[in-house]
Amino acid sequence: MALNSVNKILDFAIEQEEEAARFYTELAAQMASRQMKKVFESFAKEEGQHKAKLIAVKQGKKLLSAKEKITDLKIGDHLIPVKLQSDLTYQQALIVAMKAEKAAFKLYHDLAQSADDAGLKELFLSLAQEEARHKLRFEVEYDEQILIEN
Amino acid sequence: MFKVIASRMIVPNVHLLTVEAPEVAREAKPGQFVILRAEEEGERIPLSISDWDREMGTVTTVFLNIGNTTHRLAALEAGQNIPTVVGPLGNATDVEKYGTVLCIGGCYGIGSIFPIARALKEMGNRIITIIEGRSSYLFYWEDRFKAISDKMFHITRDGTKGYRGHVSRLPEIIKDIGEPIDRILINGCTFLLKKGSDASRSLGITTWVSLNPIMIDGTGMCGVCRVSVGGTTRFACVHGPDFDGHEVDWEELLQRRKTYMREEVIPLRTSKCEEHSRKLTG
Amino acid sequence: MPVAEKKKLDLNRREMPKQLPEIRRHNFNEVALGYSARAAVEEASRCIQCPKPKCVSNCPVEINIPGFIKAIAENDFARGIKIIKEKNCLPAICGRVCPQEEQCEETCLLQRKGGQIAIGRLERFLADWEAQQGEVELPQMEESSGKKVAVVGGGPAGLTVAGDLIQLGHQVTVFEALHKMGGVLIYGIPEFRLPKAIVSREVNYLKKLGVDIMTDYVVGKTRTVDSLMEEYDAVFVGSGAGLPWFMDIPGENLNGVYSANEYLTRLNLMKGFLFPEYHTPVKTHKRVAVIGGGNVAMDCARSAMRLGAESRIVYRRSRSELPARLEEIENAEEEGVIFEYLTLPLQYIGDENGWVKEMVCQRMQLGDPDASGRRRPVPIEGSETVFPVDAVVCAIGNSPNPLISATTPGLEVGKKGNIVADEETGKTSRERIWAAGDVVTGAATVILAMGAGRKAARSIHEYLTS
Repeated sequence: MALNSVNKILDFAIEQEEEAARFYTELAAQMASRQMKKVFESFAKEEGQHKAKLIAVKQGKKLLSAKEKITDLKIGDHLIPVKLQSDLTYQQALIVAMKAEKAAFKLYHDLAQSADDAGLKELFLSLAQEEARHKLRFEVEYDEQILIEN
Repeated sequence: MFKVIASRMIVPNVHLLTVEAPEVAREAKPGQFVILRAEEEGERIPLSISDWDREMGTVTTVFLNIGNTTHRLAALEAGQNIPTVVGPLGNATDVEKYGTVLCIGGCYGIGSIFPIARALKEMGNRIITIIEGRSSYLFYWEDRFKAISDKMFHITRDGTKGYRGHVSRLPEIIKDIGEPIDRILINGCTFLLKKGSDASRSLGITTWVSLNPIMIDGTGMCGVCRVSVGGTTRFACVHGPDFDGHEVDWEELLQRRKTYMREEVIPLRTSKCEEHSRKLTG
Repeated sequence: MPVAEKKKLDLNRREMPKQLPEIRRHNFNEVALGYSARAAVEEASRCIQCPKPKCVSNCPVEINIPGFIKAIAENDFARGIKIIKEKNCLPAICGRVCPQEEQCEETCLLQRKGGQIAIGRLERFLADWEAQQGEVELPQMEESSGKKVAVVGGGPAGLTVAGDLIQLGHQVTVFEALHKMGGVLIYGIPEFRLPKAIVSREVNYLKKLGVDIMTDYVVGKTRTVDSLMEEYDAVFVGSGAGLPWFMDIPGENLNGVYSANEYLTRLNLMKGFLFPEYHTPVKTHKRVAVIGGGNVAMDCARSAMRLGAESRIVYRRSRSELPARLEEIENAEEEGVIFEYLTLPLQYIGDENGWVKEMVCQRMQLGDPDASGRRRPVPIEGSETVFPVDAVVCAIGNSPNPLISATTPGLEVGKKGNIVADEETGKTSRERIWAAGDVVTGAATVILAMGAGRKAARSIHEYLTS
């Protein structure tokens, strides 16, 4: 599918969110402990909300402005990638999420770079901003809950 | 306080210690370990459980007399007390019906793999045992193994019994065994575990090893026992001690085990000096 | 004194003598030396005895603070300690490690004028005075109820629950995983901040009251909670937050990288600073970096200094955000600990023998306050700095040990492995099981664990007597 129209791009983005929700739902099913199942189920639910938002955008709602400045705390950047197993901890779950959101951000950012049409470029950048915001939500959680100075 | 019921050298440098610890004996399962302290000032060290008697309330460990604390434990006599025996710690070895299981034990691991082999046998597995050592005079519990093994082999470095050489001859030995092996379990020193895992990798046989890193509390509190397994950091005390030998980062484990090599002998030397000077000065 | 003469406000907070920095940085003896009787009476006499004292309500265990201070001012130390012990069975410990500056002392009316009463020092004074008197007076004990309670974990929460319930007439057994009672008081807080003899004294007091103590007993391994339930009428879980976290950055498994728990346990529980007299080895390092900024980080950095290392705290934010107690920060600064603020380690690099030799860090700046009002550290591009180190201590994050939750079916657990319990009663999702302290809240303070333990004890007592 060539991403050459607003609708196609939004459909692609919606698919990406569905994919992410599926990923977390599958992880939830794999978890040995009840509390970690719940954590990944809640991540899946958040992706569902992102999807709902994109559907609303398709129907005319506005996305984040491409110019909006979202802080990048870069917390996940230097952490070792997590190997997915049934006994993940909350710390690992957040690392998985931060890295996934960063990858999504990068995807849209790269797509924006290669887009010729100014309007589509703008749309990609907006989508990238959305992902940056999702990432920040996980980074803040990591900052508050994991990087606790004893 | 925990009473020493038996303490003796079973072969040169390898020591057997049986202590009264009824609560540990009640819960002990094959593959678990205990943490002991030899005296009030002593450090905490992990030792694999080699046997137990629930009725008598005793737990037996077999260990190599190699450093400060093992030296002190080896010097104990029946009737004496030690301040700490805590356990059973770690997860039990998975005892399931695998088919044919090859159990390899070397050094203290001959003792610690015994209850595992016994439980696997009771579960209906076919048991092939290999015991490994520098020389045949270092073997022990052979009768016990014979009673539960369908086949038994030996490897000695000096060729005094069985195959000459090291566990790296495993592919050849397995060829000689002449039947399919479903699982390999190895207990013993880190070097044996590594060599054995390396040797079985090309054969594609699942190989589980019982790791023995440095520990303090043995309950997941200090994290000194961390090992990299398949790229994930694990605490051997609570996630192990058994891991897939093909996934363990052996170089890292061997390095980590060397952390206190220099310090290991200092208390030994000091206490000997004290003893010596006490004797001299009366 | 003529009644009409109004007492003038004395804002001169009496200093507590300390070992000099250049001396104490070479030893593990207690830093703060305690008030003399004269200084204590002078300090206590400054208290204006407010009719509605806010200090009491801001104390997690609601000690009658003006009451014991008045007793000191009147030279009646015996009455003073008795008043404290009505509410707090571990005054020698709390007087030393409580964050009084953000609790009782913070609400002292004299605080506004900069001369708040040194409540913690006075509490400590009374506890130490009592210990010097030799025989400690035992409290009034209730008649035996015939009920049995198992307390899992011998730390601050467990000790409080045991002390409260034994006095109420119940039979109490404490199960402790390590070989010594005290939990974090024994393995974590160093000798120079809390002498271990004091912890032993408090534990012995509980023994005198009749508490049974089983050390070397790992509930979840040696015996499950459910097995204990067959023998005991109630089980209290106060197993703390003993599971260390690492940062998941490259190089953390190199030799010389420790969790704060390991570093402190070697030194405190195992008395590694007395090696080889005590057999647990401790390395003497040249350059130690401690990652974090809480009290645990201060304890590690100051311990490393005492072992002869150049000691450095590496913290992501700036001095004013340090979560450690100000007193401990100042102590560390006086002793010569170096503070690298706005710095975050990215990875550790090892030598050919697998020992850590370098720490690669990134400098940070604090971003604008976000929705929650907190300024978060943002990396400065291209600011990577390399520090030569031969040891790193990670003092970041701790969570409850899963041994108990994993072996107790039906016990509800939160996402970080904490046991879910009612804040007011300590009741868990399982009948007859209570929990409080760090195992519920995640790593917090000694006094909060004691306060929560007290509430749980009250709830257990209600259950046992109804």
